[in-house]
Amino acid sequence: MSGAYLPGPAASPTPFPFRARAALTPSPVPPPHRSPEKGPGMKTLRLMTVGGVIAYRALFNWTTPGMFIGTLLVGPLFQLLFFAYLGRQLQVADDRFYIVGNAVLTASLACVFGGTMAVANERRYGTLGHVLLSPRSRTAVFWGRVLPYAGNGLLIAVVTLTAGALLLGLRIPVSALPGLLLVMAAGSLACGFFGLTLGALGLRFRDVWVISNVSVALLLLLTGVNVPASGLPGWMVAVGEWLPITHAAEAARRLAAGDGLAAAAGPLGQELLVGAGYAVAAAALLKIFEFESRRTASLDVL
Amino acid sequence: MGSAYAIEAEELRRTYRARTGWLKPRRTEVEAVRGVTFTVGRGELFGLLGPNGAGKTTTIKMLNTLLIPTSGRARVCGHDVERETREVRRRIGYVFGGDRGLYDRLSALDNLRYFAELYAVPAREQKGRIAELLDLVGLAGRERERVEGYSRGMRQRLHIARGLLHSPDVLFLDEPSIGVDPVAARELRRTVADLASTGTTVLLTTHYMAEADELCDRIAVIADGCIQALGTPAELRRRAEGRRVVEVEAYGVPESAVDALRGLPGVRETAVEARGALQLLTVHSDAHVDVQSDVLRELAGIRLGRVDSREPTLEDAYVAIVSAAA
Repeated sequence: MSGAYLPGPAASPTPFPFRARAALTPSPVPPPHRSPEKGPGMKTLRLMTVGGVIAYRALFNWTTPGMFIGTLLVGPLFQLLFFAYLGRQLQVADDRFYIVGNAVLTASLACVFGGTMAVANERRYGTLGHVLLSPRSRTAVFWGRVLPYAGNGLLIAVVTLTAGALLLGLRIPVSALPGLLLVMAAGSLACGFFGLTLGALGLRFRDVWVISNVSVALLLLLTGVNVPASGLPGWMVAVGEWLPITHAAEAARRLAAGDGLAAAAGPLGQELLVGAGYAVAAAALLKIFEFESRRTASLDVL
Repeated sequence: MGSAYAIEAEELRRTYRARTGWLKPRRTEVEAVRGVTFTVGRGELFGLLGPNGAGKTTTIKMLNTLLIPTSGRARVCGHDVERETREVRRRIGYVFGGDRGLYDRLSALDNLRYFAELYAVPAREQKGRIAELLDLVGLAGRERERVEGYSRGMRQRLHIARGLLHSPDVLFLDEPSIGVDPVAARELRRTVADLASTGTTVLLTTHYMAEADELCDRIAVIADGCIQALGTPAELRRRAEGRRVVEVEAYGVPESAVDALRGLPGVRETAVEARGALQLLTVHSDAHVDVQSDVLRELAGIRLGRVDSREPTLEDAYVAIVSAAA
């Protein structure tokens, strides 16, 4: 069959007295997406913040009070208590080691699973295709999604540290608190980008939850939060160096011991570097897997 | 706006390759689209008709940048769909039928707010644009309810509002009325017709002939990955000229009886459509041959319902085109 263009009727065949007619009348202003407005930087910032928060509400499974408190606050607190009492029993390390380390680690639950949900739940709702049809920067869209998860992680870490310290009688110098907040924020952000990197795998592999579950267990083992690095085999320590939380936990312990921000600056910088590395890795993987999905139709986008 | 056409597809092909099994991997190849060529003028309402698996959705996904063509090329508003994806995406909207594709936990308003961000609608215009679209699709007043409580018709209308957020030049509608009740489907058709009348180019895929007949300026019938016919509804209807159609409602028609009908003198095509316990037999014959009595004779002993002899419709033309391709 020839595909030559045959001119068709100029207008729709039937007139429609539909209320939409007035609304659809072309406006004298240019189409919205091409009109000049804020600078590109501000637009990107808005996409990351406003878009990130709406995406969080749309895609994060644990936003109801019951789920949030039970899964993200109560569960991790019991985990902290478990390891603190186990540490006392085995006399491996003091309470500060477990309380501070586990408090920093609690951020990982919201961040790792949040990052995974940020991509995997798009498949569940059948919205991934519409997101991929956006002309906006993928990096901005998905990095923006990390911010609420990191904020969530920070909140959980602060609550867990406060509750753990009160329950077990740990005294933390007041002067250390701003630094601790900074370190926990860095750890949460690094964890968020780590979670997004795992989530990016969701563009290629359907069963990405397996990877998230394994990763959470690995963070528990390899970050030195519950087992001192000196007690781990060399290769595990080496892997832990490239994971989020490892350096944040070390920095937080130094601060809680009253060593000051200068003593924590080294591990804090390392944590930020690890986070930046995962941010770049996530952006690269998202780009690669999106292109691959278009090329191989590997993605059940709709 | 360099190109005279909103959509240009030239020898588009798409092959799906799949691998199954780990120990003994087996590779399969399916040619979903096999050399599709057509153009759609600016402001035209163009229909893509075809049976399930004909290649309609794959064609749309190539045109809207979700899939890269295996070969051939396509342009939307003059921009190459493979290389200029961002430019194409700025200019298109995509609406598909069904329950999915929306954030269930969010309200309609928040769904639209989010996609307004994704589709780069300027912040100062979002509120007015969203209100305008909610009014357009008849969801004003319900916009703060969670989408999980919406009926299919309401979801479908929200899909359309989402597709129009950034005032696209070209709108792809992939079976938008599927599963929608007749009243909602009629409203949806009104919306689509209104869009086209204001200059939006619409590419519509549908199974419903009446919908295509009512709305489309031109229609391409696609089957087996190829375009089998292309023209205005009137031109396509003429494909069935010189025919007569006999429709018989029956219960429990054996395959042998259908084969016998196919062998009757003057019969061109026979189709059987199951509707629950009922089967609808459609027999196309040459117009000058009265096959009704022969058909009833072949169906003797079978419980029959309504029997009707009529002029061919666009649907009959469609059946004739698709049957010829099979």
